[in-house]
Amino acid sequence: MVELQNVSVTYSSGVDALNNVSLKINDGDFAFVVGSSGAGKSTMIKLLLKEIDATSGVVTVNGYNLGKLKKRKIPEFRRTLGFVFQDFRLIPSMTVYENIAFVLRVIDAPLKYIRKRVPYVISLVGLHSKTNSYPDELSGGEKQRVAIARALVNDPQLIIADEPTGNIDPELSYEIVELLKGINDQGTTILMVTHEHDLVRHFGGRIINITGGEIVFDEVISGVDEVLPEEELAQAMAEAAADTGNIVLPDQRIITPDGGYPGADRNGGSEQ
Amino acid sequence: MKISGFKYLANQGIENIWKNKMMAFATFCVLLISLLLVGGSALFYFNMNSMILGLGNQNEIAVYLDPATESARVQEIQSELEGLDNVDTVEYISKEEAYNRMQNQIQQGKAIFDYIDSYEFMPDGFKVTVVSNDHIEDTTAQIGGIEEVQSASSSPQVAEFLRELRRVVSLIAIAVIVALSVVSMIMISNTTKASVFARREEIQIMKYVGATNSFIRTPFFVEGMVTGFFAGAGAFFITWAVYRTIFRILMEQGTLMRAFGVGSIIPFDRIQLWVALAYLVVGSLVGALGSVVSTRRHIDV
Repeated sequence: MVELQNVSVTYSSGVDALNNVSLKINDGDFAFVVGSSGAGKSTMIKLLLKEIDATSGVVTVNGYNLGKLKKRKIPEFRRTLGFVFQDFRLIPSMTVYENIAFVLRVIDAPLKYIRKRVPYVISLVGLHSKTNSYPDELSGGEKQRVAIARALVNDPQLIIADEPTGNIDPELSYEIVELLKGINDQGTTILMVTHEHDLVRHFGGRIINITGGEIVFDEVISGVDEVLPEEELAQAMAEAAADTGNIVLPDQRIITPDGGYPGADRNGGSEQ
Repeated sequence: MKISGFKYLANQGIENIWKNKMMAFATFCVLLISLLLVGGSALFYFNMNSMILGLGNQNEIAVYLDPATESARVQEIQSELEGLDNVDTVEYISKEEAYNRMQNQIQQGKAIFDYIDSYEFMPDGFKVTVVSNDHIEDTTAQIGGIEEVQSASSSPQVAEFLRELRRVVSLIAIAVIVALSVVSMIMISNTTKASVFARREEIQIMKYVGATNSFIRTPFFVEGMVTGFFAGAGAFFITWAVYRTIFRILMEQGTLMRAFGVGSIIPFDRIQLWVALAYLVVGSLVGALGSVVSTRRHIDV
């Protein structure tokens, strides 16, 4: 569970990165955090990782009050989380197996358990054939799968994914989110930061939009894959503007006559 | 931490040397050069010190007894002298020997000895060498305090000069060793920093997955220690080869030995154990601590 209560962060340079933000993400939720560059997304991630402290307010993650968390307790806290970064952050000198097993080494897990658990999560992310490969030998999508397996291996309560699709091909992005969704279905809370609005539109769910250090939108929207009731679709079509020929759905998403999404609208719509 | 956990981290440290072999080699070279610079200076200083002490040992106390002293008492006095703390050797010079030496020393006017029919007027004497030239004056005074001793004299100027020389040499040597140590520490610190910097992301990843500082530092510690140990071993073998060569040349040439006394240049066999220990321990410690201290900057995430 993640809870921010009236959290503000002001950097020493005087920049207000977050301004009186309150937010609650319950266990088992899947939430997208969207927003443009400099909106405060990275600051929020840093707060949740206990990389920085809030200037004011209370940050609680997995039952840890981060403002009161002692330095020596940070490793213990971080073991309740899994992180997935845009740049994968795999250790280049370690194989896929070693990168993932490393997390269990950190918590001094028994060797027997490591030998059982690591191949299991590798198979979950579909990389069984790459077990002994080094990160340099993997594609971007495969590296991110390793990063997800690493985040998952410790069976964390919460996975924070910071732009996990930022460095991979668009078609693979969907696979990565599908993977995270699958993990979420098993009960793990997922917080995914992204600026790829089409992904958000595609999958739907809870969308939190941060702009100028404030949460300007926090709603659940339906994904495009969701099958709309006939009458709703008919109503949407009926409401479409006759002059454009586009279909405007009730959540303001627009579908062009050829079934695509107008690019011009991709950065606007759904979270507004 | 479990033993298996420590074994894993120690293995990681050793594997890291191979995985980061270029940086490990750079660290090895810097440590080797530093150890040689400091070790070489220290050995030079010890030898200078030993040579000055060798010179000092050639300083002696001339002791003359009252000519009337009975021969039994002369023997007792010899035992007393030998029993003194700072006395190294006591050489008895009999009246007769003193007389003969005097005859040999006088080149002109040897005819005077035609008028002397006995050496009985000569005093019995001792040539006393001391353990520490620094205390030669005290020892001279002690000897002078024996009732039958007519005179006990040494050369306090020589002792004073040698003391001063040793003080100056020591100061210069300490300054050079300290300066070299500082330069070495800076070189080592920069090299280990560069080595750790190249792996800063690795350290950050470890922090993000919940590794404790000791978990992160242990492989670096082991890696630095092993590199430092090999640098120490390398420094020892280079020192061994160079020292023995120089020693052999000096032995063959012989001038220094004659000037400063046999044994004033320390043979390597006598110090090799200490040199090896110093190189290995200092190399390992500096290597290990250098690595660990350099991780500090990157560990706070």
